[in-house]
Amino acid sequence: MTTALDTRPTGDGARIALIAAAVAAAGMLLFPLATLGRGGTDADAVLLHLSGRLLNLSSYQDAPLPPTGLILGLGWATLALLVATVIGALRRATWLWITALLAFVLAAAAVLRLDATLSEQVGRVMADTALRPGAKRQLRNFYAGGGMNLGLFLPVLGGLIATGAGLSGRAWWHERYNRLRGLLVPVSAISLAIAVGAVVVLIVQPAVNLSGKPLGLVGGWLAKSDLVYFVYSSLFAPVTSLNPLLDSLKLATPLIFTGLSVAFAFRTGLFNIGGPGQLTMGAVGAMLAGVYGPAWLGWGLLPLSIIAAGAFGALWGAIPGVLKARFGSSEVINTIMLNYIASAVFIFLIGTDTFPFLGRTYHLGLKAEGFEARSEVLQPGAQLPTMLGLLNVGSGGQTAISIGLLVALVAFFVARAVLKARRTGMALLIAVIAGAVTWRIGIPVNIAGSQLNASFLIALLCVAFFGTLMWRTSTGYALRAVGLSPKAAEYGGISVARGTVLAMTIAGMFAGLAGLHYVNGGALDEYRLKGNMPVNVGFDGIAVALMGQNTPAGVVVSSLLFGTVDTGGLEVSRQLENVNRDIVTVLKALIVLFIAAGGFLSRRLTDPPPPQLVAAGAGGPPPGTHLSPDQAALERATPNPNVGQSSEQITREGGK
Amino acid sequence: MDGLFAQLLTTAFLATFIRSVVPLLLTALGGLFSERSGVVNIALDGLIIFGALAGAVSAKALEPSLGAAAPWFGWLAGMLVGGLIAWIHALLSIKYRADQVISGTAINLLATGVPAVILTALYQTSTESPKLNQGLPLWGVGELRFSPPVYFAFIIVAVTWYVVYRTPYGLRLRATGEQPGAAASMGINVRRMRYSAVILSGMLAGTAGVFLSIGNLDSYVRNISAGSGFIALAALIFGQWKPLGVLGATLLFGFLQALSIALGGTDLLPPTLVSALPYVITILALILTGRSRAPRALGRPYDG
Repeated sequence: MTTALDTRPTGDGARIALIAAAVAAAGMLLFPLATLGRGGTDADAVLLHLSGRLLNLSSYQDAPLPPTGLILGLGWATLALLVATVIGALRRATWLWITALLAFVLAAAAVLRLDATLSEQVGRVMADTALRPGAKRQLRNFYAGGGMNLGLFLPVLGGLIATGAGLSGRAWWHERYNRLRGLLVPVSAISLAIAVGAVVVLIVQPAVNLSGKPLGLVGGWLAKSDLVYFVYSSLFAPVTSLNPLLDSLKLATPLIFTGLSVAFAFRTGLFNIGGPGQLTMGAVGAMLAGVYGPAWLGWGLLPLSIIAAGAFGALWGAIPGVLKARFGSSEVINTIMLNYIASAVFIFLIGTDTFPFLGRTYHLGLKAEGFEARSEVLQPGAQLPTMLGLLNVGSGGQTAISIGLLVALVAFFVARAVLKARRTGMALLIAVIAGAVTWRIGIPVNIAGSQLNASFLIALLCVAFFGTLMWRTSTGYALRAVGLSPKAAEYGGISVARGTVLAMTIAGMFAGLAGLHYVNGGALDEYRLKGNMPVNVGFDGIAVALMGQNTPAGVVVSSLLFGTVDTGGLEVSRQLENVNRDIVTVLKALIVLFIAAGGFLSRRLTDPPPPQLVAAGAGGPPPGTHLSPDQAALERATPNPNVGQSSEQITREGGK
Repeated sequence: MDGLFAQLLTTAFLATFIRSVVPLLLTALGGLFSERSGVVNIALDGLIIFGALAGAVSAKALEPSLGAAAPWFGWLAGMLVGGLIAWIHALLSIKYRADQVISGTAINLLATGVPAVILTALYQTSTESPKLNQGLPLWGVGELRFSPPVYFAFIIVAVTWYVVYRTPYGLRLRATGEQPGAAASMGINVRRMRYSAVILSGMLAGTAGVFLSIGNLDSYVRNISAGSGFIALAALIFGQWKPLGVLGATLLFGFLQALSIALGGTDLLPPTLVSALPYVITILALILTGRSRAPRALGRPYDG
């Protein structure tokens, strides 16, 4: 009963393509096409618009500018193709994806041509014997700051999206698309947050203009939109080179811990907003073990410190868990109260040497000398090495990164695939051997010192532990069942109370382990517990978990994104006086807000279609043999926490 | 020990006690409207912060032209902004059926970032707004002198009681929170009721923020709420979602806050641990509350 498959894009696909192409076309007309140069201290730029108009806002009024005729030609051709794509989307034409793909190709060609043009300009400047070396260096940096602007970025992005949407009628693409539905909400939320953040930047930061000439209405608008592009390109720049990437990983490490913490509790229908308190107590535990543990343990102090961090965090997570299971208390309010209590305990321990009690003064002795609130330095055995220290196998001062870890990782997955996933232990053994054999082989790199410490490895271990426990053990099955339907779980013999306590305990452990990053890992420049520990990464874990759809892999990706943006935020703060790092905080909050709203997308779009419809639409074999829609349905079944219900209702349901 | 008891009997302590009660009372009463209509509102803490910021910034902006009247307009601005931000929470929770706790948390997270962005843009500092030449006036006798939001708060207790139990609006509000389906079948617009209740909660929380920024101090400072919104939420639960229960609960919590301030000045307990006392008491209160009598449809989106 197979029929000829309609290759026209789906209605939703056509709408997505229409929006993407229309926004890209509008962007080409409304925003600067390219930046021909940018100053290094005030972000002042020379802008090129599609109309050929040049706007020099920089302090380099006399800088020679490269030829742009070919770039403009490619730009106009791209615009024409985008208009054709819009028409194709309105008609749901089969050829829609072709014009979209060509638009993407031409826009990308324009970007490459622009980069080549700027490089040629640098070459011309360096060859000019009439210029002083200092002026040459300044001009080189000036041109290096140039590149595509919103007017080219949008068609590159929009072309890609429209191409994919235009292919939505193909059977193979349709199945792949169904797998990716879960990504629609976080992607939509991020896009909306960026758009709102752009409006905020437009409002609070005046345009940068060092030319001394007044800006007209059009010039002012172009300057403003360039500013928005500068802010966002700076925020996301740290993924484009090695040193900033390592800094991003450093900032991502505690987010992985706190993101796992929130995601784990969410899986059981609980909302762990106690990350900051659990992190604080974990750090306290790590410090106590690392400073005051017995010296004869030597390197044994490190595992002791790790266990202490996890245990202290677990305790702080177990308290609200027990209170909820036993008394029906809201874990939301209790975790927030425990955050404040942890903060008070923290300051009590290292904020002062003495404390009064019933009229007498006692000595506590945990605080290091000096005005600052901080502990003594950890014993050497408890200190975590940096990743660079661990992986550097170079000799004679040369830095070379070992390939052992990468080889071990690849060997593990290959071995597991070959052994049909029935010999995980054997695959692990093979991976360890492969890693050990290749450890001494290194790739030379140029790194200007990195503070990324080995707690990053511990974070990755926690990711693996999360995935294994939650999806490969009966305990994990029980926890997920409690999250999906407490009543059904209780009916099936699963103890909801036990699940609640266990989930909050493990969630607290994850957050507590984040303390290792700051205390044992020296992330605050010293191997100490310090008063300026940024416990707000506990709240960032909420956005990380939601963006990652409460999955371990999603948490890692989201953490990297946030680490990148945090690193980029420092650069933006340095160059623009009215935009500081708090713009990043606002972006994260907006992401949470928009994810809560489901990205403002229709449920029909984000929920997986019934398997029968997919099978019928694909014209394939009978339903039941298709795994993709079932897997999509399972993946999509991410439980929302039950915290929205009153405590009594949850307890009553759990108690029946 | 004698010193402590003596301190508790002074009018200064009484004044501190009342000033501790007011932000909790206003916020909890606001939360009462929202939660009675069926919408969980843990955004109260963020609403306090936005109200405080709006009150301080707008009063400062209007001071050159309006003089002593500027703080009153600051109060009005704080209420309106509190209502506006609450409307966002309502929009997400009611129309888009977002998880109400996540939506509320998102607003609280916004409240940690937005003030710094706005203050940086306006005053090139991210931690506090410039001081007013004069805040709201203080009315009263001797050491018992308070700004108008204090009197407003205690009046609102009576007004809330009357509205919730003696007006058609109150009956519909309670019906919406208990049985939205039945309420809808009787012709009540459940969505509109919930929108109005949540916005009302934002205006009252905004007033609490205004009290904290220009009714008690003369500027906005970072983290001005210090968790008051969550303590108010606990007081709402402890008070069983009733106006007089809320009054009793906030009097208790306010007394303990004032007590911790008094204890902080003695040598009986470590000051840093004493500062955690209000939060410990909040947890204990929630334990004592046990199985609470929350509105039946609290936290459930209405799909009709």
